[in-house]
Amino acid sequence: MPERKFTPFNFIALIAGLLFAVFPILWMVSTSFKLRSEWVTSPPTWVSSAPTVDNYLTILAPQVLLERRGGTKQVGDENFGGSKDDAAGGAIADLLNRSAWPGIKGSIIISLSATILSIVVGLMAAISISRYRFGGNFTPFFILAGRMFPPIAIAIPFVIMFGPKVFDITDTYFGLIVAYAAVTVPFSTWMLKSFVDDLPHEIEEAAMMDGYSRWRAHFTVTVPLIKGGIIATTLFIFILNWSEFLFALILTYTDVQTIPVTLSKYFSATEGTLYGVQAALAMVSIVPLVIVGFFIQKHLVRGLTLGAIKR
Amino acid sequence: MGKPRRFDPNDKKYIPALLITPVQILLCVMLIFPFILEFVISLTEWQPIYGDFWTAFGSVFTQKINQGINYNYLVTEEPRYLQALGRTVIMSVISLCLEFLIGLGLASLFLKKFWGKRIWFTALLTPMMIMPVVVGYTWFMLFQYNGPINQIFGWIAFSPVNLQWLNDGTLAFIAVIVTEVWHWTPLFFLIMLSGLNAVPENPIRAATVLGASNFKIFWTIILPNMRAVIIIAFVIRGMEVVKLFDEIYLLTRGGPGTSTETISLYLYKLAFEDFRLAYAGSAAFIVLVITVVLINMMLKPIRYQLVEGR
Repeated sequence: MPERKFTPFNFIALIAGLLFAVFPILWMVSTSFKLRSEWVTSPPTWVSSAPTVDNYLTILAPQVLLERRGGTKQVGDENFGGSKDDAAGGAIADLLNRSAWPGIKGSIIISLSATILSIVVGLMAAISISRYRFGGNFTPFFILAGRMFPPIAIAIPFVIMFGPKVFDITDTYFGLIVAYAAVTVPFSTWMLKSFVDDLPHEIEEAAMMDGYSRWRAHFTVTVPLIKGGIIATTLFIFILNWSEFLFALILTYTDVQTIPVTLSKYFSATEGTLYGVQAALAMVSIVPLVIVGFFIQKHLVRGLTLGAIKR
Repeated sequence: MGKPRRFDPNDKKYIPALLITPVQILLCVMLIFPFILEFVISLTEWQPIYGDFWTAFGSVFTQKINQGINYNYLVTEEPRYLQALGRTVIMSVISLCLEFLIGLGLASLFLKKFWGKRIWFTALLTPMMIMPVVVGYTWFMLFQYNGPINQIFGWIAFSPVNLQWLNDGTLAFIAVIVTEVWHWTPLFFLIMLSGLNAVPENPIRAATVLGASNFKIFWTIILPNMRAVIIIAFVIRGMEVVKLFDEIYLLTRGGPGTSTETISLYLYKLAFEDFRLAYAGSAAFIVLVITVVLINMMLKPIRYQLVEGR
C-alpha cells in the first residue's frame, strides 16, 4: 500500500494502544516486587518503596525465608517471627506448602511430553492429509473438531472416563499428557500440514526416482526440509500446553500439579489471597512463554489461524 | 488379480491410512468415546454419590431410560442455562467486534513509517502470549475497587472514583470484555496487518489520483480485498471465544450472582461444584451439538482456503 504520513493523531492512538497492552504486564511486574503491606492499599501502590524478592523466594526457595525467621521452631507455629511485611507470613506449614516447585515440575513434564506426542502424531497426519488428501475434506475437519468443542463439555465425561474402574488415570501425569495432546493435536496437524503444503512434492518424487521408498522419502527428505516449521510448531504447541488450565484443574488433586492450577490456588484461610506471591509465580510462568513467543513471532498467525494465513 | 493380496506397508494404498491411524486412535479415545459417554450419562440421573460409573452405565439398560428428563428440565425449567448461552453469544459478539476494530486501527498505523516500529510491534503482541490464568489474575488485581483503574479514572474525573468493578453485574460484564479484548486484540492486529499488506497498491494509487476520499478508498478497495482475511479472523476467534473460561474463573467466577456466567462457567459449576454430572452431561451435550453445527456453518466460507492452505 502507498506510504502515508504519520500524523500526530496516529501517534496518540499508537501510544494509547501501547499503554493498554503493556500497562497490565508492568503492573504485575511491580506487584511481584511489593512488600506484603503494599499488595492491597488505598490508593494503590504503584512502585514498592522497598522492592523485595521475598515473593519469589516464597515460591522458589521457601527454606531461605524459613531460616531467616529462626527456622528451627516447630511446624504449625502461627506467625512466629513474621513481620507484617513478610511475604510468606503465617504458619510454617503453609510456608512450605507454598513452594511452586511441584507445579513447575508438573508443568514441565506434562507440557514437554504432550507437545512431543502431539507433534509426532500431528506430523504423520499432516503428511497423510497433505500428500495423499486422505479422507478428502472429512478427515481434516474431523481432526479440527477437537478444537471446536468447549473443553469443559469434554471434561465432564473425562472425569468419569479417567475415574476409578474405567481407566483410572485421574491425578497421573499420563492422563493429563493424553488429554493435553488430544486438544492440541488439531493445531499441530493443521499447522504442520500448512508447512508440508508449502514444500513442492516434486522433491519427494525426485527422491523416489533415486530409489527411496515412500516412507523414506517422507521422513528423510520432507521432514528435514520443514525442520524450521516443525520447530515453530513445537514451540507453539508448547505454549498451548503450558497455558492449559481447565483439564489440570479438574483431573488433578494432589499428586500432580501444574503452574496454572497452583496459581489459582494461592489462597489461605488466615491471610486471604497471596497477591504478591501470585504475581511472582505469574512472572515465573510467563517468562518462558514470552521468550518462546518472540522466537516464533512470525509463525504465530499461521498457528492460530490453522495455517489459513501464512504471515 | 489372481494373486492373493497381502498387506504391504509400502503400498501406496496403505501409507496414508497408516500415517493417519495414530491421530484417529487418539481422537477416538479422547473425543468420540467421551462424546458417546456424555450422551449415555445424560440419559440417567446418576451422581457420583450413587456409586461408580458402571452403576450409571448399568442403569441405562436395567432401569427405565428417563426419557430425556434432563433435557426437558434444562430447556423448560432452567433459565440459567439459556441465559448462560445467550450471555456467551453477546459477550463473544461484543468482544470480537471491539477486537476487530482496535486490531484494524492499529494495523493500519503499522503500514506507516515511524521510529521504533519493531519494538512497538513486539510490545503490542505481548498480551497474546500470556496464559489465560495469568491474564485473569492480572485484571483481577487491576479491577479491585482500590486498584489502579479506579485511580486512573479518578485522575481523569478529578474526583475519587469507587466503581465496584467486580461486584456489580454490568461492570463485571464490562470487565470481562475488557480482559478478553486485551488478551486477543493482538491476534486480530496480526491478521489484519497481514491482510492489509496483501491489498494491491495500484488501485489505491489510481483512486488517489482520481481524487477519492480516504473513506471511499477504504470502503471500496481495501475492505473488499480483505474480505477473506476478515472472515478467517472472525471464524477462528469465534471458535475460541465461546470457550472462554480461564479468565472469568480467575476474574469473577461467573459472579456477582450469575451476571458473567458463560456457558463454560455454568457447566463447570454444575458438574464440579454441585456434582450433578448426569445433568451437566446433558447440558454439555447440547452445547457440543450446537457448537459443531454452528462452527461447521461458519467454516463453510473458508473451508476451501483452509484445505488448500493458500
